Amino acid sequence: MFDHSRRNLAHWFALSMGGILFAFAGVGYCLSVEEQLRVFDDELFSQSKTFAAKTQYLLYQSQWQNQRGQTPVESSVTLNGGLMYARWYNSNKQLLQFIGSSSGKQLTAEPGFQTLETPIGSQSSSTKTWVRQVTLPVLEGKLLIGYFQTAAPMNSLRIGLNQARLFLTFGVPVTFGVIGITGWFLGGLAMRPSLRAYQQLQQFTADASHELRAPVATVLSNAQVALMPPEDPLEQRLRLQNIVQTAKSMSTLINDLLFLSRHNGSFAETGLKPVDLCEILRSLAQDFAALAPAQSLNFNAHLPEHPIMLKADANLLKQAVINLLTNAFKYTPADGKVELHLFTQSHYAVIQVKDNGIGIPSTDLPHIFDRFYRVDTVRSRQTGGFGLGLAIAQQIVQRYGGQITVNSMLGQGSTFQISLPLKL
Amino acid sequence: MLILLVEDDPSQLEPLRAALLKVGHTVDAIADGETAQWFAFRKDYDLLILDWMLPKVSGVELCQVYRRAGKLTPVLMLTAKDTVLDKVMGLDAGADDYLVKPVDVLELLARVRALGRRSPMWQGDILSLGDLQLHVSTLTLELGSLTTQLSSREFQLMEYLMRHPRQVLSHNQIEQALWSWGEEPESNAVTTLVRRLRQRLQTIGVKDWIETVHRMGYRINPPNL
Repeated sequence: MFDHSRRNLAHWFALSMGGILFAFAGVGYCLSVEEQLRVFDDELFSQSKTFAAKTQYLLYQSQWQNQRGQTPVESSVTLNGGLMYARWYNSNKQLLQFIGSSSGKQLTAEPGFQTLETPIGSQSSSTKTWVRQVTLPVLEGKLLIGYFQTAAPMNSLRIGLNQARLFLTFGVPVTFGVIGITGWFLGGLAMRPSLRAYQQLQQFTADASHELRAPVATVLSNAQVALMPPEDPLEQRLRLQNIVQTAKSMSTLINDLLFLSRHNGSFAETGLKPVDLCEILRSLAQDFAALAPAQSLNFNAHLPEHPIMLKADANLLKQAVINLLTNAFKYTPADGKVELHLFTQSHYAVIQVKDNGIGIPSTDLPHIFDRFYRVDTVRSRQTGGFGLGLAIAQQIVQRYGGQITVNSMLGQGSTFQISLPLKL
Repeated sequence: MLILLVEDDPSQLEPLRAALLKVGHTVDAIADGETAQWFAFRKDYDLLILDWMLPKVSGVELCQVYRRAGKLTPVLMLTAKDTVLDKVMGLDAGADDYLVKPVDVLELLARVRALGRRSPMWQGDILSLGDLQLHVSTLTLELGSLTTQLSSREFQLMEYLMRHPRQVLSHNQIEQALWSWGEEPESNAVTTLVRRLRQRLQTIGVKDWIETVHRMGYRINPPNL
């Protein structure tokens, strides 16, 4: 599923970026062709102008027409290295004079630039080359006195363009490949958070279904055994009580699971009113103080007189502290002590739940906030925990930007501490 | 049969144990791997039912150790692990069968019966010794056209004797096989039970099959085999 999305992402990224790349390369190439041609034409034009200027005076002389073999042109003017030929025509477009090669008696081309193929050399050889030809009208004042035509080979231009084309032919696909690979990596990067969330969810679902199996097995086997002959009403009664117990603990588990999945990620930030932490803990302390004598525990709450206000959901905070206190009561043997403290420390409200109970082995400490983690399966089974209480408490506390930490010595007791930022 | 049932969750262990007892098996119910291992090597069980995830020694580890020691008793794995890979691992560790939780008690009992029939003496639900046939489902003994109904204790003893033909079985062995760990039978319980079983056998005319070996115990000795 994620591979598919990643491929899709890379695919679309490469296509869009590749499209942009191709368009960019195409436009760039066209622009560079035009630019080079313009430069070439300017060069040709200026060359031909100087050339024409050098030879202009020849056009005034009528001797042109009758002394055509021995033109002063040949003697006085040689072609620049760049030019293929030069041709002079009179105003009637009749060829008067040429250097290099002539194409005919009559000027056929319109004034301006043209690109055409001409044979190399003076005589018709098979090899042809592309030339840029310019035909200029020669003006004396306002009077058209003739035309001058010259041409330069486009080899240099063509070589340049060929190189550009070659570069693009190889460069563009390579770049495209690089884009594709980049897209793949970016896709992976973009997928990472959702992949992690997905894996966590899968793990959670697996854990949850595994946890639900045990109570279901208990309910099922109790019911089946109760129905097996010989039926004994007393035994059936016991089994029904077992089923009731199990169903109740399942219900607790399902509620916890729902809580975790519902409040996974972010709770609605809106509508949070400032609540008095003292008030919340005071009512909790009363409830637990009432429970303490039954377990012969010594429970004390040390709460400040002045209110400590913070923005949070009172029920959620209550739940977090209840979970800590329940654990403290559960894992503290008779005649033990459980204490609840609340005080402020710089910008934090600190809640501490201390007990002098059995403590937590140091090997287990890093994991106790993991979902479904039980320190000792046998013992927790008997006390009926599913290993979700601390996970829920941690989720609530982190939700309000706080932290939950633990200090514990095996056999000496544990101290859980919640620090909540005091921002209103 | 004498069954060792190992499961760490007491709320799951108790009903399974009750179900096995109800159908006439003798059950040692243990909640952790270490204790279970001690029992498995100390008593001669007919079947081990092991949960995979146990404190201290896991069911799979226990099964491997048990098989490496050359024990051939059938092992049935119970676990909440249900992937194919888990099943393969469990079976490769030496388990004969595998059940995924939540276990249906009726299915478990059927599989227990099936595993009990692995021994060549069984044909279906019937354990035979010569012409004598013991029906597991109805707890009856049959010889030709004659039948007699046994109580569950008598049946357990008869089955135990029939599965160890001609072996002398001491009082102590019989007590271990028929009474679960922690149950204290009366000192003359075995003697009384043998006497009751002999009375039942008399109705089908094979009273003298059970011999008393002086100072040693009892053995079943089919005369014409």
